[in-house]
Amino acid sequence: MPSNKELSAALDIEGSVPIHSVQLDAMVVLKIVKHCRESIPATVTGQLMGLDVNGVLEVTHSFPMPKNNQDSEDDASNYQVQMMRCLREVNVDDNSVGWYQSTNMGNFMNQSLIEHQFEFQQALSKSVLIIHDVARSSMGNINLRALRLTPAFMQLYKEKKFSTEALTKAKLTFSNIFEELPITIRNTALLTALLYELETADESVEVSTSHLTTYKSTASTPASKSVLAPSFDVLDLSLDPYVAKNLENLMDTIDDHHQEQGNYAYWQRSVERENKKKAAYLLNRKTENARRAQSGQAPLANEDVDAMFKVPVEPSRLDHLLISGQIDNYCKQINEFAGPTLGKLFAVGELQK
Amino acid sequence: MMDNSSTLHLALPAVHTAASATAPPSLAQPRAFSTSVNPLVFFSILDHYLRRNAGQDRVIGTLLGVRSEDGSEVEIKGCYPVPHLETEDQVEVDMEYHRTMFELHKQVNPKEVIVGWYATGAALNSYSALIHDFYQKEVSSFHAVHLTMDTALTNERLGVKTYISAPVGITSKADNCMFIPIPCDVKYFKAERAGLELLANAKSTESGSTTLLSDMDNLEQAVIEVQKMLERVSEYVDSVLAGTIPANNTVGRYLMDTVSVVPKVDAAEFEKMFNSHLQDLLMVIYLANMTRTQLAVAKRLEKLM
Repeated sequence: MPSNKELSAALDIEGSVPIHSVQLDAMVVLKIVKHCRESIPATVTGQLMGLDVNGVLEVTHSFPMPKNNQDSEDDASNYQVQMMRCLREVNVDDNSVGWYQSTNMGNFMNQSLIEHQFEFQQALSKSVLIIHDVARSSMGNINLRALRLTPAFMQLYKEKKFSTEALTKAKLTFSNIFEELPITIRNTALLTALLYELETADESVEVSTSHLTTYKSTASTPASKSVLAPSFDVLDLSLDPYVAKNLENLMDTIDDHHQEQGNYAYWQRSVERENKKKAAYLLNRKTENARRAQSGQAPLANEDVDAMFKVPVEPSRLDHLLISGQIDNYCKQINEFAGPTLGKLFAVGELQK
Repeated sequence: MMDNSSTLHLALPAVHTAASATAPPSLAQPRAFSTSVNPLVFFSILDHYLRRNAGQDRVIGTLLGVRSEDGSEVEIKGCYPVPHLETEDQVEVDMEYHRTMFELHKQVNPKEVIVGWYATGAALNSYSALIHDFYQKEVSSFHAVHLTMDTALTNERLGVKTYISAPVGITSKADNCMFIPIPCDVKYFKAERAGLELLANAKSTESGSTTLLSDMDNLEQAVIEVQKMLERVSEYVDSVLAGTIPANNTVGRYLMDTVSVVPKVDAAEFEKMFNSHLQDLLMVIYLANMTRTQLAVAKRLEKLM
């Protein structure tokens, strides 16, 4: 899409203005929500389209990707190209700016997601990943997060070097794999009109029944009045399932973490063993050489000691990073959930008195 | 009535005289036909309308959705735009585009089928009939649904209307048809509900934008909302008791129902439940924080290596 590249280049000539926030169109929010909800519990992804203007990434359109794109990479890219072409025909911004993925209880930290986002950010430096948590959204408060890999992580991932040393040098820890961008949501004027319309929809029933065009079905129960009548899902008191599920996930992740730790300890032990062997060998040679020097013999030829004792390569710490990040995520989630829930509990306590 | 004018627009009462002669029996009861629309469809249509070409005053597109088995209920779940061109004497719809898009949509969502089409603007004209005829063929034995959205805001409303068609006249000609309005309601799910609520927050701000709320803020809003409702109800009850407002039986019954829903729990029992929940929660918070501390310590230790 050369024309678009030119356009985006025209808007930001050096491409140097970093993105500091993400603006989602109302339609995009609903599209993501619908797509993710319909395909529960499978994880689904889709493309985001839009433009970055002055550091704000405006996402104006999105489309879902077919589910089984693992086995047919060609089909998926074919689909994408065709979709983009079609959307351009109806004047949609066909400039890809990232992708979205659904998640359940925030378990999105995994290798494939990182790889996907890495590829994206490699190709389009201003792309963003929107994570939508279906389980949390259905509790009454929509849960969207805009994430980008940090430059430090990008660099390391490019070099595929995840040794402890490299991580320390890059100051990379689990908490700065991703940077989170604030999200704003924008309605167009017409949409605002629509929302007002939806809010007052119940009044239109009387007006229009005469010619059968009820906006809300006349058969609807009187309890569900206006479309935007306040919902109190947020006030739901059932905390057990959520906390239980969260803890279950947390436990699984901690198991993974434990395993990873075992691997690391194993590596450390083998390094130590090799090092000991090496040291013993060197000491041996030293005494041997000293003895030979005393008896006037030439010292032993220098051998490549490093080649004799192979220090095993440090296992990649990426998994460890991701798992830590995931654990942190769960803990945060529990805390975020616990705050309002405590409030609710005490409110109920008061009510009971 | 049966002259050569290309379209007929009839008022509803004519159904039984003009249409019943040629229409299949199901058409005789248009009332049995109903649609529900996902709010996303409205949003998409408006977006499409905003992105129309210069000089174009209406846009059309295909509606996707699912049908109940007998075809009497249609749930419109999605839509996509279709480019078209209207001139004085003819209308061109990009059918190839329509087909490609449908194929693409099918890959993602095989369950959704074509159920009809949408157009912006409240008016139905002769082209509507032509286009509708095409979509009628697409849905074969079912009724194609036509949804209009009044983007010109006549009567200051964004009137949404849905129609099905009935053939009119002795010979069935493509452009002879009558649009019969059918009821339509809005349907959404919990997660979408949360999204809509957020969008609704944005409607009263001038820029039309909003930010995401944290769970706590969201709870606060809900509590404020409940408080307002309680105030309103108690105000009403007070004024009924004072005799300033005549009592409304229906309202009274609803209030009664609501009050009776509040579960009656024994105080000691409640105390026990309350405490056990509280302890559980506090324990979980404690453990979660502990885990986070461990992680933070590990993070620091790693640097020392």
